[in-house]
Amino acid sequence: MRKQERRAYICLLLALVLFTGVCVFGVRFVQHGGEWASFYGNTQIYTDGMINRGTVCDRYDEVLMECTRDGIIYNDEYDVRRATVHAVGDPAGNIASGAINVFKSQLIGYDLLNGTYDTSAEGKRIKLTIDARANVAAYNALGDRTGLVGVFNWKTGEVLCMVSTPTFDPAGRLPDTEDGGYYFNNFIDGAITPGSTFKLVTSAAVIDNLKNRDSFTFDCDGVNEYNGVDFTDIHAHGEVNFRSALAQSCNGAFGELTRDVGADVMQEYTEKAGLTEPVEMDGVKTATGSFSFPSGDNVKLSWAGIGQADDLVNPCAMLVYVGAIANEGEAIQPTMIKSATFLREITGGKSLGRYLEKGTALELRSMMKNNVIENYGEENFEGLDIYAKSGTAETGSYRPDAWFVGFTDDTDAPYAFVVWVKEGGYGSEVAAPIARSVIWALKEDRGQYESE
Amino acid sequence: MENILYKFINITQTYPELARELTTVLRWIFVVLAAYILLVSIFSLLTTRCTPEIWGYFLVENGGNYPITHWENVIGRSRSSDINIPVRTISNNHAILNRQDEKKWIFKSLSENSTSVVNGYKLEPNKRYLINTGDEIVMGGVHCTVAPASVEESRNNEKMRRLDKTPVAPWKILLAITLFQLLTIVQLIIAKGENLTLSPVICILLLCAVMWTYVAFFKAMGSKGFEMEMIAFFMTTINFAVTASWNPGNNVKEFISAMLGLGLMIFMCLYMRDLDRTRRLKPLVIGLSVLILILNLLLGTIRYGAANWITIGSFSFQPSEIVKLAFILIGAGTLEELYQKNSTYMYAAFSFFCLACLAIMGDFGTALIFLTTYLVVSFLRSGDLSRMILAFVGAGLMGVMILRFKPYIASRFAVWGHVWDFADDQGYQQTRTMSFGAGGGMLGLGAGNGSLRHVGASSTDLVFGFVMEEWGFIIAVLLVLCVITLTIFAVMNIVAGRSTFYTICACGAATMFLLQTILNVFGAVDLFPLTGVTFPFVSTGGTSMLASWAMLSYFKAADMRQSASLAVRKEA
Repeated sequence: MRKQERRAYICLLLALVLFTGVCVFGVRFVQHGGEWASFYGNTQIYTDGMINRGTVCDRYDEVLMECTRDGIIYNDEYDVRRATVHAVGDPAGNIASGAINVFKSQLIGYDLLNGTYDTSAEGKRIKLTIDARANVAAYNALGDRTGLVGVFNWKTGEVLCMVSTPTFDPAGRLPDTEDGGYYFNNFIDGAITPGSTFKLVTSAAVIDNLKNRDSFTFDCDGVNEYNGVDFTDIHAHGEVNFRSALAQSCNGAFGELTRDVGADVMQEYTEKAGLTEPVEMDGVKTATGSFSFPSGDNVKLSWAGIGQADDLVNPCAMLVYVGAIANEGEAIQPTMIKSATFLREITGGKSLGRYLEKGTALELRSMMKNNVIENYGEENFEGLDIYAKSGTAETGSYRPDAWFVGFTDDTDAPYAFVVWVKEGGYGSEVAAPIARSVIWALKEDRGQYESE
Repeated sequence: MENILYKFINITQTYPELARELTTVLRWIFVVLAAYILLVSIFSLLTTRCTPEIWGYFLVENGGNYPITHWENVIGRSRSSDINIPVRTISNNHAILNRQDEKKWIFKSLSENSTSVVNGYKLEPNKRYLINTGDEIVMGGVHCTVAPASVEESRNNEKMRRLDKTPVAPWKILLAITLFQLLTIVQLIIAKGENLTLSPVICILLLCAVMWTYVAFFKAMGSKGFEMEMIAFFMTTINFAVTASWNPGNNVKEFISAMLGLGLMIFMCLYMRDLDRTRRLKPLVIGLSVLILILNLLLGTIRYGAANWITIGSFSFQPSEIVKLAFILIGAGTLEELYQKNSTYMYAAFSFFCLACLAIMGDFGTALIFLTTYLVVSFLRSGDLSRMILAFVGAGLMGVMILRFKPYIASRFAVWGHVWDFADDQGYQQTRTMSFGAGGGMLGLGAGNGSLRHVGASSTDLVFGFVMEEWGFIIAVLLVLCVITLTIFAVMNIVAGRSTFYTICACGAATMFLLQTILNVFGAVDLFPLTGVTFPFVSTGGTSMLASWAMLSYFKAADMRQSASLAVRKEA
């Protein structure tokens, strides 16, 4: 009998297998429960393949989308629907980063304790951080051009405006998926030639690495031939120093500065600026930018230093970098979900770490201010303490892409912004007014909300 | 009665909001009740250890005095002998000493080389001799004798055993289960409304009545331990609720099967009180099993891909479920039988026959269960690990052959581990199980509120997901813990076991339950390919229910706690 007693442990071994398996499953259940429950095969929460519960609204409680058993109901206004569709998502789920896809398990009201059980069967209300009216302002400003506007609070990380064009009406007939442009969110999925906005990265490298930058001068003749290649500018800037080179966006000067800094340092600073990694926003990863700084090819290196050549930047990553400049070097992770607590307002958003030294950030800030004073005109941004850099990116098309990136430093409006208009023309002429009208709209809405 | 039911249904439909709120609260109550019922039972089973009974003493010259705590004992030099005499002249496994009655013992010399002499008479090896207490035994030159347990010592023994922690009293658990059953009916009324028929309600109420009668009757007869039955009654209640949610028309069938199973369990418990009588039954059981498997091969009808059903008129059953019971009985053996080659060969031959039949039927899930049970039981019998590994490798090779020749099985292996990539074909059932199961969360959606029931085999192969969705993750896991507890209990009780026959039965039954649960749960949630095996007690299906209940008798037979089990005859 004693022999059997020992041998019987083999039964316990089997019991252990069962126990271990159930534990493994339990861990998976906790980790993936939300994902599993929101799987399209779950007929509890899908009617005709469409999610049947949950509401999405903007930061001021304007309802953008309501999922019901009778289908998905969008906002009444045509413009609101078109301006917010990339944030909210389409009924077919073609916009990968739309809230209907990303926040599915929150929409159906899934939680570990109750699963999808819900007394009201209406699902949860998700509050996005965007301001629907400001989105409409951005959408109107972009008009029928292809482009994007992204604005986020560089202290809290809340994304206030995210508009991508071309856009469509999710309540109407959905465009063909073949015609991918409609479902493409330029802000998240884009990787675009940055043009002169990239000089903000080159400048950071110069500030940290060229001790004699204050004595730097460059004589811009408008053609700026180097090694037989012309680094043309709109007009001859004459003699410029480092500050005025950025203000005038002098290609010749920045070509030389890039060469002075060198390929390795350029690569290092681009990586430090977070432009070579995707940004993670509520679990969604943005497209990744790509750059090449050849050490053996000074011409190509010069082009790369002024945001041309092979440079491709993701607009969201650029926004985070600009936000880091505003935030004295510390980058904040963007988010689309309005936090229920006020904690974030006080403590700030989730830090992504230091992208720039504090001193570097402060000097860049002052130079970006100088850009506005010298070039864009402070009078054009009435009521805003604005810091910016424009960009005019040559893409080989008949007209360059227009960029305008920067931030405001009002206590009630710490907004960083990125505006891009494909084939729009000159950045400061085309993209800057769009940024201005969106920020005005944001400030107005906030003022209205607070007075109520 | 029908009127009363419709009155209730009407009330819930008049106040739908209130009914919904009620479900919200009930989900919590169910979890708390289930946790109470099962955890108290599990705790009682695992903490009430029993002091082994002492049947006599084995006295060895120069001081050795060994209490004999089993009916069957090996005497030898090996440390794992029950009576361990560390003398060179004694073989590792020298002899077997079996208890016949108070004064008579059976002695059998196992060793060909060393000698055993009783009262001066030289014993032939491998022959049984009846000896009396007090007879002089000389083994390898060592003088020994068997002494009866003195009356005084027996009394002391009894006292010691009385000091053991007694099993938990069944009444509170009974009340909790009853409350659980009544609330289940309420929940089903809320969830199903007019789709609810009278039969599930009556079946649950009748189950409740049977449960009380069973406990009251056997309590009156002096039995004490009811934890295993409580667990079984609880699992049966979940089964009835699953059936009611899935197809209320089947509840009567489930009820009848449960009752037949309960009856069979009681019968087997009483029958197994007499070990010799039980052993004599073996040839008959083998004959019947072979017959019904052959009948199955000849008359079998295919359901869910395996020809493992016999249908007679409107009545159909799964012979392999019944053969499970026989399989364990035939694998079990007394200590003496374990040393007989014939018994081992017969068991191997019978196992091979069963496996071959199952393979022909295409029921590979059950074949896997039989195979593992065979391996575990063989190991318990012989302790030969190398042979077990060899058999396992052989089986593995056969498994590979099966995969080659049965594309239907191979396709299940192909999706194993990444069912989400095949969500709408071979991974359909598993992804639905996990999706709907996750939808249930920890507390479940409430009985009758699930949607997994629209998926094929949801109430059998996928029943773990069914329970997760309607009853919640906690209750589903508790059910698994019940099966694990039965196993631990079976192993723990070997210490006090009277005969290896009972302990092998219990370990065999535990292996079957474990394997069924492993294949059922793991298959449904993609930890293993889906094999289509039932979860004991919980999966719907008459034969499965009947076999689960009957299987319980093997656990009861191993329960050696003081007057706990009706499978153990009470001492006068």
